[in-house]
Amino acid sequence: MNAVKAIFLKELRVEFRNKQMINSYLILSLMIIASFRFAFSIIDFSITELASPILWISFFFGGMFSLSPIYKREIEQGTKEGLLLTPISPSSIYFGKLFANLFIIFCLELFILLLFFVFFPVNIPDLFSLLCIIVISTIGITALGNLISAISSNLSQSEVMLPVLLVPVLLFTVIMSSVSVTSNVFAGANIFDVLDEVRLILAFDVVFIAVGYLLIDYILEE
Amino acid sequence: MLKNKLRILVSILAIIFILISVYFALIYTPPHEIMGDVQRIFYFHVASAWISYLAFGVTFFAGVMYLKSKDFKWDNIAFSSAEIGILFCTLGIITGSLWARPIWGVFWRWEDIKLFITFVLWLIFIAYLALRANAKSRTSKANLSAVFGIIGLICIPFSFGANRIWQQYHPTILVSSEGSLQPSMALSLIISVIAFTFLYIYILLVRVDIEKMKEEIDKLKQKVGG
Repeated sequence: MNAVKAIFLKELRVEFRNKQMINSYLILSLMIIASFRFAFSIIDFSITELASPILWISFFFGGMFSLSPIYKREIEQGTKEGLLLTPISPSSIYFGKLFANLFIIFCLELFILLLFFVFFPVNIPDLFSLLCIIVISTIGITALGNLISAISSNLSQSEVMLPVLLVPVLLFTVIMSSVSVTSNVFAGANIFDVLDEVRLILAFDVVFIAVGYLLIDYILEE
Repeated sequence: MLKNKLRILVSILAIIFILISVYFALIYTPPHEIMGDVQRIFYFHVASAWISYLAFGVTFFAGVMYLKSKDFKWDNIAFSSAEIGILFCTLGIITGSLWARPIWGVFWRWEDIKLFITFVLWLIFIAYLALRANAKSRTSKANLSAVFGIIGLICIPFSFGANRIWQQYHPTILVSSEGSLQPSMALSLIISVIAFTFLYIYILLVRVDIEKMKEEIDKLKQKVGG
């Protein structure tokens, strides 16, 4: 547990020491939302129906860029060997990085949500349910995203390979379910009306964390 | 020696069964009472789809075996099978679209769970090949692709669930049922599935051999290069 905490604090320190990185995430989020606003400015569209896919695609791409450096910088800066030589199990490294990543992505999503409401003024009947669903889905996305980021960090052209590997496994599982559930919330349901679907997303979370825990050893031993 | 004989045997069986299945699918079975002759593509469509699922299953299994044993033999099988799987998956998607156009009026229906899952599988294994192409070393290629193959197949039941939820909010267009299979049609289908399975085994054996030869050549090159 101490090891997980140490890795968690280390990752956050690295992220926040380099203010450029945080700034570029925030600017990127602004750009993503602005491009969606541009794409939908020409046509008449129902904002309640499109709100949920727009929101989730923005989360997905915003989150992806903050997932990308988390393993890669260990390789680039030559700290990977040092990290592996410490008496910490690979799964502790995985969980430490996962929690740090979750923290950063939650902050980022909150920022995207704020921007989203500015650019797409949509009515939210139940903000609490929306936030709950975002939190639950983000756990699954980050758990798998972390593992894929560890894979892609070992590849050449890792910036291109991360989205190539992430889209087929994430977009058609967690994100698809989240979009459905969130569009229901925008249409007026609360979290107890969509409990079955939320349970499925919770199952994603559990399975993806278990997969990460089991498979990270094979990836880090490279 | 034994392996060569086995390969020849499988290839002969594949050729014989393919000829039989062509006869059964195109001549022996009567045309479908509603869909007519168009329906005959069904025998090759289902067989290709079946082979693609089998091939991806083999990739998953070989990936697990590789991680357990660290023997490159399993990695070669996983990769070869994934490649063949993509080939047959593409064939399945194309033949399915050709069949769907006259029957449904469209080439593709996103609401259909079978089509959706096949498409996701296709994407996952395209990504799998891209991963292998970008790996930096032989071990890393084998390790990472085995892990990704496992993740990919674990995601499939979840895609299934996600699509079910999706459909609740995006109601599907009702399609006419495909009609029940007559005994002669079922027989033709079974024969073409057997034929395609032999074809798959034959291609897999050849493909694994090619991978082995590639490895030997690499070893020889390294020797010559010092």
